Amino acid sequence: MLSLPDRLRVIVGPRRVLARNSELLAYGSDALPGYHKTPQIAVFPGTRDETIAVVRELAASNVPFVPRGAGTGLSGGALADGIVLLGLNRLRRIISVDTVNQYAVVEPGVVNTSLTRAVEPHGLHYAPDPSSQAACTIGGNVAENAGGPHCLKYGVTMNHVVALTVALPSGDVVTLGNATGEQQGYDLVGAFVGSEGCFGVALDVTVKLVRNPQAVRTMLADFTSIDSAARAVSSIVARGILPAALEMMDSATIRAVEASIYAAGYPVDAAAVLLIELDGFEAGLDDDVATVTALCTRAGARSVRVASDPQERARLWQGRKKAFGAMGRVAPHLVVQDAVVPRTKLPAIMAQIAEIASRHRVNVCNVFHAGDGNLHPNIPYNADDGDEASRVHLAMQEIMDACIAAGGSITGEHGVGLDKLRYMDKMFTPPTLRAMCDLRDVFDPTRRANPGKTVPVHSCREWHMASSARAQNLAATETR
Amino acid sequence: MIAEKIHWALVAGRRLKIQGAGSWSNAGRPVASDETLSLADHRGIVEYVAGDLTLTARSGTRLSDIASATGAEGQWLPLDPWGGDDGSIGATISTATAGPYAHAIGLPRDIVIGVEFVSGAGDTIRAGGRVVKNVAGFDLTRLVTGSWGSLGVITEVTVRLRGRPELSRTLAILVPPTRVGLNDLAVRLRSLPFLPLGSEMLNDQLASHLKLGAQPVLLVRLAGNERSVNAQVDAMRDLGDWADVSNELWDALRTADHASTGSWRWSQLPSQFGDTWTAADGAARALETFFLHGNPARGVVRVVAHPSEADASRVVRAATAFKGTVAVERLAADAWPLVSPITPDPLSRAIRDKFDPSRILNSGIMGAE
Repeated sequence: MLSLPDRLRVIVGPRRVLARNSELLAYGSDALPGYHKTPQIAVFPGTRDETIAVVRELAASNVPFVPRGAGTGLSGGALADGIVLLGLNRLRRIISVDTVNQYAVVEPGVVNTSLTRAVEPHGLHYAPDPSSQAACTIGGNVAENAGGPHCLKYGVTMNHVVALTVALPSGDVVTLGNATGEQQGYDLVGAFVGSEGCFGVALDVTVKLVRNPQAVRTMLADFTSIDSAARAVSSIVARGILPAALEMMDSATIRAVEASIYAAGYPVDAAAVLLIELDGFEAGLDDDVATVTALCTRAGARSVRVASDPQERARLWQGRKKAFGAMGRVAPHLVVQDAVVPRTKLPAIMAQIAEIASRHRVNVCNVFHAGDGNLHPNIPYNADDGDEASRVHLAMQEIMDACIAAGGSITGEHGVGLDKLRYMDKMFTPPTLRAMCDLRDVFDPTRRANPGKTVPVHSCREWHMASSARAQNLAATETR
Repeated sequence: MIAEKIHWALVAGRRLKIQGAGSWSNAGRPVASDETLSLADHRGIVEYVAGDLTLTARSGTRLSDIASATGAEGQWLPLDPWGGDDGSIGATISTATAGPYAHAIGLPRDIVIGVEFVSGAGDTIRAGGRVVKNVAGFDLTRLVTGSWGSLGVITEVTVRLRGRPELSRTLAILVPPTRVGLNDLAVRLRSLPFLPLGSEMLNDQLASHLKLGAQPVLLVRLAGNERSVNAQVDAMRDLGDWADVSNELWDALRTADHASTGSWRWSQLPSQFGDTWTAADGAARALETFFLHGNPARGVVRVVAHPSEADASRVVRAATAFKGTVAVERLAADAWPLVSPITPDPLSRAIRDKFDPSRILNSGIMGAE
């Protein structure tokens, strides 16, 4: 009998299976610093059939595995701790594009921007645009239900996926949804998107394509207080204008960006800037620009500038999209969160975050999707300094608690993965967590796909134990 | 209260038919039940913060009550399902019933952000939340949306709202409903540099019911600021002879099928809209009086039997030859045996086993148990 690595080599070829520690180190982390888990084996199928054969081999061997796209996730979700890592980034074929009905069928390893580049000549694009879009894959986006700045107007991954072919962890292949997007029966596409690799492996994904806007206006509004910037956000949202993007950066982020090679010309003395993009039909767009300008000015903006050409627009966006990278200059490590609060709570939560940061003497850089209340409080720090590290973790925990208390969510687009498991109990009741476990058990009764992620196993187990104990007690009572 | 009712049903071994406001009582496959659990009195807005553009309501809340509350703030819950606003928010989400603005704004699955429901196992589950972006845990919200009460009874729903557009105009455009012409129309509508808020092709009977003359028309609603709307109107001019008509027509269209004895949704890809229309029209001609309407950009056509049609089942036989999908929305109970039975796929069956193991909720509504 061959060893598991050898059996996998037979399927995908010897060069596509890694089993030596030195080779596996590169797969020990995703884009979230602070977590390292080394897989035992990494396998990289190159075709759909190879992928199915690998999944079936793992099922036959009863071996747990972690599906992985490009490893750009920010939740620790794609880490395989001593188990098999199933890399899908070689499945990068765009299978078909229907430019008339505006959808594409792609393999899971297709890079987000490659799809947009491929359909660009037809005046179309794939709308969800996570900041990692130049590297992240559609399969990974499906697993995490990825968002991005433009999902304020266009929606997140879930809104753009209409069908999937999935290899269940058992090796069975199922088709969910259809290209028309008309629901028949349960919304299994909706259930699968955002399942963080726990429900199986997408073999192909049918996504909607969106017509490129006829016109775009990118604006930068400059504020002397975070509070007034947050109030401007609320007033724009309440007004009914739906910007394509509405992003906020605070002074710590602005300074980090401006000191880096990604300098975008943001005012370094501002307390906050809003990057606002309006797009769509050319006619009347400038009237919306004027309305948004007036709302910002009324909220206290010092200035509102509209990018005059595509170069300036690209530069304004580069500062935003590379802000995480720019923070790398500030300190060697970074904690990243993506909690969400109701939009009217933004001014209060920003004040609370500042208070928490100052109390714990940490430096929070806020750069986030303000239009949908999706915060990104990032804390650059030095993990080798034990005292600083513990202050950072305390501060982060308090920020999360504050967001939950404000009626928010612990994650808006990065997913739970490993990193936010500990907050799940604070957000969901035991029966709700159990229902999530139940749903996972439907797709993966043996719990081999991405084990130990997303829903805390302990809570399910405790709940199951509690309910079975209760049942036993009751039975005992009835016998008495 | 609702949880208690379900606990009781579990203990007593009684099967429940779940009903919202009762406005579309002939919707969905017939249910084997011992009792009806009505949510008609479980109503009221729980939380509405206009600045958040989100609203939480008990499931029996009528859409009309939500429309008045949000309208006062210049906002709008963009579900606008067929059938009008007498229905409840819970039933609309539970049946995933869309309306004329779905192509521009989204389906119910895109608009609902949180639900509380009591599963058929008796557990109260709070899925999603009150924020517009949320990926915490597995998506039970999407799972329950469109599950027709077969996984749980929705007790509370949180939805995202929209600001009302500054202005909107409705045009009635004369478009001959030929197969090729309508295929072409769908492609043209999808390639416009803007999204019409609504575009709905109406057959002659429906046009006449709405007092738009006796010919098939395309009804288009354009929204935005004044300059934008005027330019959108200009862009529609060459589709055919047109006239400005009242925006109120959309509500009249949504309620035109109020007491229908049968309605069906036919769909294929948008570029086949003309084929879908022709097939649906051919099938509907088994009836004397029927409405036919569809959104070319979405590729969906609805056949609605007039209340005077006592036997809508004749459409059922004609529908079986269609290459696309036909979803039966409403039908008299005695006509259902003619519709081909559905056997849920193994995943769906397993989900039902987890959430309603005793089959006490709307038994049979998703097909064979």
